[in-house]
Amino acid sequence: MAKRDIPEINAGSMADIAFLLLIFFLVTTTMDRDKAYIRDIPKNVEVVIPPAPVPERDILAIKANSANQLMVRDELMENPDDISERILEFYRINSELSGDAMMAAMGDPNHPGNNFPFFSRISKAGIESRIQAAIKAAEEVEEQEGAEETLISFMWNEVSQWEKKKFALNLYGKKMLPEISSQAHIRIEVQDRTDYELFAKIQSEIEEAIFEMRDDSAKEIFGLGYASIIAKLADDASNLEYKAKFDLLKLLYPDRIIEVTPKN
Amino acid sequence: MSKFSKGGKKPAPGINTSSLPDIVFMLLFFFMVATTSKESDPTVKVTQPMGTRAQDLTAYKQRSEIDFLYLGTPRNTARAEQFKMGYALFLDNVAQPDPGELYNTNAIKRWKLDKFESKPTQMTATIEQVITCIKADEGAPSGIIFDIRKELQDIDALKIAYAVKDNTNAN
Repeated sequence: MAKRDIPEINAGSMADIAFLLLIFFLVTTTMDRDKAYIRDIPKNVEVVIPPAPVPERDILAIKANSANQLMVRDELMENPDDISERILEFYRINSELSGDAMMAAMGDPNHPGNNFPFFSRISKAGIESRIQAAIKAAEEVEEQEGAEETLISFMWNEVSQWEKKKFALNLYGKKMLPEISSQAHIRIEVQDRTDYELFAKIQSEIEEAIFEMRDDSAKEIFGLGYASIIAKLADDASNLEYKAKFDLLKLLYPDRIIEVTPKN
Repeated sequence: MSKFSKGGKKPAPGINTSSLPDIVFMLLFFFMVATTSKESDPTVKVTQPMGTRAQDLTAYKQRSEIDFLYLGTPRNTARAEQFKMGYALFLDNVAQPDPGELYNTNAIKRWKLDKFESKPTQMTATIEQVITCIKADEGAPSGIIFDIRKELQDIDALKIAYAVKDNTNAN
């Protein structure tokens, strides 16, 4: 039997098919990524215990009314681009004060930082003793008859909070861990008719200020931009080294934001 | 003379196009990888406001841990008066018969719960962790945003995201 040549397959139309697919993907592609500000909604609680009053100096209230007028700390603001500067001031003005200088500023109503949140500083030894005390308190609660499950987990959570601070201070590499007042927060108060554009702008300014502060610190402590830390974590959320860095920055500049539901 | 015209006309040689499919395939693969398809095409008009330093949602989308809702004026202007302040909600991938249907805020609970019920089996997130992303028009009243928050709070869906068009300079 004579050998027959296998006929070649004509691949000339391959390019056409590929082009067709290419054009389909070209048309359906949207290159802009979805970007958003992620926020937490507070959990619904049935019994509302009136919260302890927060000192005026720990609140940065950003208000916008239905006519889209803006007020930051009860001062009218024309240009919403200035909000981030006020946030930076809020976080930074007292950050270097400690000991007697802080006491003096607290008592002196004419001091520029008097109406802004103050910082606490804690050493390694201080954290260590807090951890021991927290463990002791948690164990005591656990041994009580009929102790509530939620209370026990709350007490142990307290312990792990201090453990985290100890870890963060080690990473920080300094003697003291400065922490802004635990009640210091940013409060967004808008009205029913405030445009979403302004609401989003306020969120944007907050994010910009937080980014700037964390970025400056990140460069100082790690010699690394904050953006690259976030990017690394977005790729691989379980990267412990970068997670620790992020946690430290978050501890130094916490983003506590309260969005107040408008009253009708 | 003899130097240039050697022996009359020769036919131009055909260009070899056999590597064309390779090139096209390469482009094709690039676009296939870079594509994130739109969840749905909303029937409300949404012009997103600008913002800086917003978080990228791609990772959440890949894990389908995010639901999108659009808040804007209906494209069909005759329907505007049915909704509070003229702004309607468009919900992505509703399990209802009419995919173009528009809603008021009171439909959010059912939509979220339905979506959570029919979640992909490999998804491990609890309802608290599934983000609800609001893509609102820049003129939308913030009151409605807070109405949406209230609805989400009631079903313990505690993560919310406000979408913006990011104008951060790349660095």
